[in-house]
Amino acid sequence: MSTLDVGTYSPREKGVVGLLGVLGALLLLAVVTGFLAPAYLLYLVGLSAMYMLLSMGLNVQWGYGGMINFSVAAFFGLGAYGTALLTASGSPISGGVSPVVALFGGLGLAAVLAVIIGYPTLKLRDDYLAIASLGLAEVVRIFILNESQWTAGSAGLTGIPLFFSDWPVLGDLTYPYVFYAGGTPVFNMSQSVVTSFLNVVLVSVIVAAVYLFLRRIHQSPWGRVLRTIRTDEDLAETLGKNTFAFKMQAFVIGSLIMALAGVFYSHLVLFVSPQDLQPITTFYVWVAVILGGTGSDRGAMLGGFTIVAIQQGTRFLTDTGALPIGAAPLRLMLVGLLIIFIVRLRPEGILPPERELIWPDSLGGGRDE
Amino acid sequence: MSEQSLVSDGPILGKDDPVLRAEGLEKRFGGLVATDDASIEVERGTITGLIGPNGAGKSTLFNLVSGFYEPDAGYVSVNGVDVTGRKPHQIADQGMIRTFQTPRKPEGMTVREALLVGPHNQTGESIIPLFTSPDTVEQEERRSLEQAQEMLERFEIGDLATQPATDLSGGQMKLVELARGMMAEPDLLLLDEPVAGVNPVLADKLAGFIEELNEEGITFLIIEHDMNFIMRLADPIIVLNQGSVLVEGPPEAVRSDERVIDAYLGGPSE
Ligand SMILES: Nc1ncnc2c1ncn2[C@@H]1O[C@H](COP(=O)(O)OP(=O)(O)OP(=O)(O)O)[C@@H](O)[C@H]1O
Ligand SMILES: [Mg+2]
Repeated sequence: MSTLDVGTYSPREKGVVGLLGVLGALLLLAVVTGFLAPAYLLYLVGLSAMYMLLSMGLNVQWGYGGMINFSVAAFFGLGAYGTALLTASGSPISGGVSPVVALFGGLGLAAVLAVIIGYPTLKLRDDYLAIASLGLAEVVRIFILNESQWTAGSAGLTGIPLFFSDWPVLGDLTYPYVFYAGGTPVFNMSQSVVTSFLNVVLVSVIVAAVYLFLRRIHQSPWGRVLRTIRTDEDLAETLGKNTFAFKMQAFVIGSLIMALAGVFYSHLVLFVSPQDLQPITTFYVWVAVILGGTGSDRGAMLGGFTIVAIQQGTRFLTDTGALPIGAAPLRLMLVGLLIIFIVRLRPEGILPPERELIWPDSLGGGRDE
Repeated sequence: MSEQSLVSDGPILGKDDPVLRAEGLEKRFGGLVATDDASIEVERGTITGLIGPNGAGKSTLFNLVSGFYEPDAGYVSVNGVDVTGRKPHQIADQGMIRTFQTPRKPEGMTVREALLVGPHNQTGESIIPLFTSPDTVEQEERRSLEQAQEMLERFEIGDLATQPATDLSGGQMKLVELARGMMAEPDLLLLDEPVAGVNPVLADKLAGFIEELNEEGITFLIIEHDMNFIMRLADPIIVLNQGSVLVEGPPEAVRSDERVIDAYLGGPSE
């Protein structure tokens, strides 16, 4: 088995790959014709990758194990704040730590929170986690907003270095100039394309590593037990499976992947604020997972990508002035239409799981998904 | 009258080598006493029947011994190990596997995939070995796949292996449940109404399979309303009524016992 082997594709997947290819070609064309700034395209790729990570994380919890987590934004935020508080020059706590080390700070925070919320609720019925996580997301956001002596509060954290800032060669590359309006970064197009490119390389490595990791743990006896738990937890228990332990593992892994997205986000936009923890992020990620196909890693990635396409595409469309409607209402309308589309036509999502969760090498054929 | 004397008033206790022992189990749901001082012993190597009118507390007793309900009083041991108050998976680990009265359909799984969940303590159920010892995982998985196929073929449903587990008839579902239970290599299988809703031909086959497995050393405790089925298979038969054991004895004797007939016909006695 080669690590670069992406497995075989079903007809449905081929269709999706084809569509993505066309879209990619169009975007490239837009760059070549000067319609789209290269740095902005690279920023979009980074953003898509971030949403892919969030969706893959939620898919481990909801898609594999049936756990309802409404705290996606909180785990994302802990990753983002974890690394920002350690690295940013504007950090009220420490600052100046190397991003490579700070990464583990972000992940650690998320893991601790996952255990704290998972321990009491995962022993109970499914709905308890849902309710608790709904509250948790707000608790985390309001904590960050109010405890400004530690978190800088509503002002947010500035002066976050690039991920590669302290690396020998890469760190010497041009520092980007980023301008913020109302918490959203508006890019000054003079930003170094090289820097953005490095970010894209970084996030591609992260996404690929996470995908390969998930593919292995999903198509295995471990993933199979979680699939059983998802449909019938009692059944898994009667077969001697410690369902609490399995759910806890999946919950922590999913939360770590979300936090990873947050860490990357911090070093992509170089600014975090409580705005980034708004529940709308959680909502978008849920739409992404369900749209992509609950339980499928590839589906989650596609869903994450689609959400960014809608978010940014609407901005782009309205910027051209071609539409008599603002970006925000258009975006919500499109997402609403998408939800109706899913529920009516494809309740199982665009790329639902199609494979048996059996260790692929033992089936004789090659490793698949 | 000679037959009557074979029937014990209440449970027969103090058996030589019981796989399952339950003593003085009690379970209340609010004011309702579903299980009231119930004691049973299932002797190794037997097919023990558990019968009784609707609402007698048979399924509740299964839930109590398998850890799904916490007893208000009483004691349960499996293979000599006290498992009172333990989690269902811990009890399953002691070698006792149960099925449910309503078949559990694993959605989104093929039949063989569902069977592969059966084996205990698979190496690949832990995350780290998936990366550090993939060869062991692969070998185990191969072995389990072979076992699953053998089991399905034995039950004459080998062709269903890659079918969705949800697309089965009621009878096939029961066979798959039995096969999945067997994959866990249990000492004792608890079956809750294995032939409810199953056509007579398949029910007959199922009885044959259970007899075969029993000859190979698996002990069974079976709840069943189908009298022909249970009388053919089980010995002894335990009769539960209003939450406690009414009588226990060999099938023919139990069948003609006055107390049993009264319990079935009369509804609540006294
Ligand atoms: N979870 C529960 N909550 C409340 N009451 C229950 C519960 N489970 C069982 N009971 C009650 O306990 C009594 C015994 O039920 P149980 O299911 O054990 O009967 P059973 O012997 O299996 O009957 P059947 O032959 O109809 O399956 C019934 O009166 C039932 O309504
Ligand atoms: Mg019952």
